[in-house]
This record gives sequence, C-alpha cells and structure tokens, in this order.
Amino acid sequence: MSAPQGQVPGPGFGPDGLPRLLPPSVNVPEGLRDHLARHGFVPYRNARRQLIGDLEAAGLTGRGGAAFPVYRKMAAVAEAGGHPFMVGNGAESEPASNKDMSLLWLAPHLVLDGLQLAAEAVGATEAALYVHEVEAGPLGELLRRALSERWSARIDRVLVRLASAPPRFLAGQETAMVNLLNGGLALPTYAAPRVFARGVGGAPTLVQNVETLAHIALVARFGPRWFRQVGTAAEPGSMLCTIHHADGSARIVEAAIGTPLPELIGADLGPHGLDGGTRAVLIGGYHGTWVPAVRAAELTLDNAAMAASGGILGAGVIAALPANRCGLAEAARVVRYLALESAGQCGPCLNGLPRIAEGLSTLSGPRPSPEVRADVERWAGLVTGRGACSHPDGSARFVRSALAVFSAELRHHEQGLCSAASQRPFLPLPAEVAVRDEDWS
Amino acid sequence: MNGITSSTLPWYTSRATGVVALVLLTVVMVLGMLVNRQGRLPGLPRFAVTNLHRNLSLMAVVFIVIHVVTAVLDGFVSIPLISGVIPFTSGYEGFWLGLGAISFDLMLALIATSLIRGRLSRRVWKAVHWLAYASWPIAFAHSIGASSDLQSGLLLALAVGCAVALAAALAWRLVSMAREVPRAERVSAMLAAASGRAGKNRSLPSPDRNRSQPGPGPGDPRKPTAVS
Repeated sequence: MSAPQGQVPGPGFGPDGLPRLLPPSVNVPEGLRDHLARHGFVPYRNARRQLIGDLEAAGLTGRGGAAFPVYRKMAAVAEAGGHPFMVGNGAESEPASNKDMSLLWLAPHLVLDGLQLAAEAVGATEAALYVHEVEAGPLGELLRRALSERWSARIDRVLVRLASAPPRFLAGQETAMVNLLNGGLALPTYAAPRVFARGVGGAPTLVQNVETLAHIALVARFGPRWFRQVGTAAEPGSMLCTIHHADGSARIVEAAIGTPLPELIGADLGPHGLDGGTRAVLIGGYHGTWVPAVRAAELTLDNAAMAASGGILGAGVIAALPANRCGLAEAARVVRYLALESAGQCGPCLNGLPRIAEGLSTLSGPRPSPEVRADVERWAGLVTGRGACSHPDGSARFVRSALAVFSAELRHHEQGLCSAASQRPFLPLPAEVAVRDEDWS
Repeated sequence: MNGITSSTLPWYTSRATGVVALVLLTVVMVLGMLVNRQGRLPGLPRFAVTNLHRNLSLMAVVFIVIHVVTAVLDGFVSIPLISGVIPFTSGYEGFWLGLGAISFDLMLALIATSLIRGRLSRRVWKAVHWLAYASWPIAFAHSIGASSDLQSGLLLALAVGCAVALAAALAWRLVSMAREVPRAERVSAMLAAASGRAGKNRSLPSPDRNRSQPGPGPGDPRKPTAVS
C-alpha cells in the first residue's frame, strides 16, 4: 500500500494527494502484480449493500458527465430485487474526451476492482465492461488479458464480459448501451422503464462510468474521510479531465474538484485571461458550453460554479480555443457532427439539428442575413427537452452558448469580416459518419 | 316530429353530436396518420399537429358521451345506459348500437393507454393504438346503420366526404411508408436538404486557407494520450 498522505492514509503521489487514480509511472499500463502491491487485495464486504453507505458518506457522484449521486443509483438497483446486471461504461463517446480510455489503459485493475465491488454491493451476478471498439487493438487485448488473469487468480467473483461499443456519439448513452448488450443497435430509447429497473436481459441494471468505478475501488479501501480530503464540501474528490491547450497539445489531468480553471489550462488564459492566447474556453465537451476566456479565468472546476454560469462540467473536457481561430467556424463544425450523430429517431432531433447546423454554417460564412441568428436561436429552443435522450438538449446548449460568446465575431461576419487568422480546424472530430444500421452495432 | 321542443331536444342533440363526432373522428384519424408519418400542416409546426390530434380525440370523446347520454335520456325509444359501452344490449337497433359501443370501447382503450403512455412500453402503446383502424370503420358503420339520417341528402354527402378523406389519408400513408428513408440514412438526407435550402456554403477570406490540413488538436481521439 502506498505511503500515507495527509490525515487519513490513502494513495496519492503529490503533496496535494493527487493523482489518486493514475499509477505513478505514466504511459505504462499497471499490471496486476503492481496494482496489488500498491493497493492490496480487493476489499470485498461479503454482503450486499455494505458499500453503499460508505459511498453516500463519501459523496461520490458519477464521473460520466451527469454527476448523479452514486449511492442512489446503487440503492435503486439493490432494492429492485432479482439478479441485477452490472455494467462498467467506458464508452467515452465524446471525441474531445480521452480520460476513460487513458484510465482503462493505465490502471485497468483499479476499474475492474470497482466493477467487482459495485457488483457485490448491488448483488449483481453478471457484469460487462462496455468500451469503444475493443474487438481488436491494444486496449481490447490489455483488458481481455487483465480479465482472464483476475479470473484465474480468483480475484473476480462475477464473470465480466467485454462488450464493444460502436464509434457513435450516442453509444455511451445508458439506454443505447443496454440495447446493444441486449443484441440490438446502440440506439437510445424512451426513458421508461429506467435501466435500473429493467435493463440488460430485463434485469435491474447498474451502469457506472469506469472512472466512477475506480473511485469506488479507492473509497472501499480508504474510506469516505480519505475521499473527502480533496474537492469541495458539496462535490468531494478528484476528477479526470481532458485538457486541450490553445497550443494544440492535449493532456489528461486528475484534478481536485474546485481547482481554479487557470491552474488547469495554465498560462493560456494569462493573469487576467486577456493575454490574447485564448479566445474562449469550451467546458463540458460538445454538450457543454463556451465561456469567454476572461470569464473562464474566474471559474473553478465544479458543477456549482458551472451551474452559476449556465454550464455543466460534464465529463471534464476543457478546451482552450486559440485566439487565431473563429469560434463560429468551430461551433459549426461541431454542430454538423452532432447533427450527423443523431440517431434519426425523434423528430425534433432529426429535423431540428440539421437545420441548426446549416444555420450555424451560414453564420460562420460572410454576411449572413440577420434573421439566421434568430432562426438558430428559435430552433435551439424548439428542440430542447423533446427527445428520447438528451442529445437535442445538449446540442442546443452548445449552440446557445456559442451564439452568446461569439456574438462580437458574429457582427464581424455580418460585415463580411472574420477576425480569425487561421481556418484550420481545432477541436477534434472523427472523420467518418454512420451511414448504415451496422454502424450502430 | 317537427321542431325542437323539450321532449325532442335529447333526440336532436343525440343526432347532432353523433354527426359531429363522426367528423371529429375522421379528422383525428387523418391527423394521426400525419403524426405517424411526421407530416406537416401548412403554418403549423410538427408538434402542433400532435397536440391537435390529441386534443381533438379528447373532444370527440366528449361529443360521444353527450351522444350516448342524450340517446338514453330520449324517451321516444328505450336504450339502457349500459348499451353505450356493452355491445348488443339494447333492444332498439341492437346490432347497430352494438357497433357504436364496440367502437367507443376501442377509443377508450386508445385514450387510456395514451394517458399512461409514459409507463407503458412503446410496443404495447403502439399495438393498442393500431385499434384505431378498427374503431373508425365500426363507428362509420354505426353512423350509417343506426339511423336513416346519414342515408340521404347533405348528411350522406358528409358521410361520403369523411370516407373519402380517410381513404385518401390512408393511401398517402401507405405511399409515404413505401418511400421511407431507412433510419441510418435519414440524418444525412436531412442535412443535405437543409444545405440545399440554405444555398451553397460560402467561406470568408482569410490569411490561411489551408482547410485540408488537420488541426493541431490531438490526432486520434481514441488513442490514449500522454498523461501528466
């Protein structure tokens, strides 16, 4: 076990007790032997529900983006009865996010410990790990080896099957995931009945993000008091973030919740956010919000601060848009991608998002007529709250914040000018789009 | 029977509400097919068509309730109240009133399942909603058969009009189903249509026109990147 830090012993490598989840040697996957040497054996409770109280005391929330209290979801599944199904969701569909993939690559056993402990707490008899495209490739190979090692060493008590998610934006959505595990296409469905009541194979299903599972594995070992040593009182703990710097580099950081944003994006924002290096910051990914650089310099990494400015933290994507790029052009690219990733099922999403995307594309060009902006804003309002999943809502939130934050740029465009020196795309987007049903399987 | 008096009021009310209900049900059916195929009405957004479909169906039920209650209240013929929902229990025009009761029961099932739609699986709701295609023809047969009102004159023209409207909507629905774009291709089709509407996209003059080069963002977002 690692050297004690702070008042309560627990893992952590820096003076601030971070990082907790990621192993000390960067970029080398931590094998089973090293993992056990560092953290000790899996602290099974040998009883259902024992862990749920600890997780409630720790105040752990889901790290997949929704920040829902972990203990409540687990209690609901544990109370639903029957033989629940447990899923670790590592289908990080957000193109700008890479933290789940990195965690699975670097510390697979911590995630798998959490999967076993959560399964035990709700009494699950079957489990799956759902990750993007793991039929082949190094990550799939690593996870398969880790799972078979754990099974033959009798560390795992519930057999975990590895399921491959299609490369779709909505593949990580809970109901889409359940549909795929049930043998269908990874398409979101109606919310009712919720998956905690009837999910995989009709069983009550607990879905937790893989980073959440890693936190669960640590709370089970070191307790709620240790967990609360970092973070804010309302949102304790740390979270993994994918940071895109204005210079084009990207990194994964485990930060205490409540960390001032300038500490994470570094010198990009300058002392007052006015150094000219960054135009705006996108927080929360492609369902998140744009924030002007000046405003971002005052923000902290927590949902309370984000909610006050009308945004969300999501799965911790923070992207600094360089000053030489056009925010409208970037927003138009992203929204076009979001429109193409619509499942094509609900009218507001199918009809609304392509129009919004086309409207934004017009706004990113020269001399858009003034009514286009009003149209886009109206359409964004019309699609909100009217889909089976939150895709239209998240996309509309992104669009509204782009129109608000880049309104000065919009006035330039209306005069036929653009203040950006470069038209090279900045935010990462996958090249291919879905054209057939098989692309969703 | 010439003119509306206190004794003939229920009789006239029953006939009139019956005719109105038939027209309303026809409109509800046409709107339902429009909703199913995601069609539009000029000047109305799509969700308004859905709301209209729902509200008119509830209004039709109100008319049918008045239609049944006034027929029962009318002292000229004796119809028990129960015949409104239980078929073939009326001594007067037992068969034709029985059809009306069947049709009404089906409508009640449709509406009840729609009111608790959030708690039902989509499949169950949809299966029950298909009963509309049985309910309307039965209601139509009841309208024609139960009295001679619709068998001649203007009201016959109205009944024929309803049938023609329904047949046309049904034909349109079938054609539209046959032309349906597969789900996976819908979005790109919509995007192509939207960009056609907006005209060809133009780009702004800028010092750096090299669009084909990838941006300096992380290369492959699926590959684990450096961690600090």
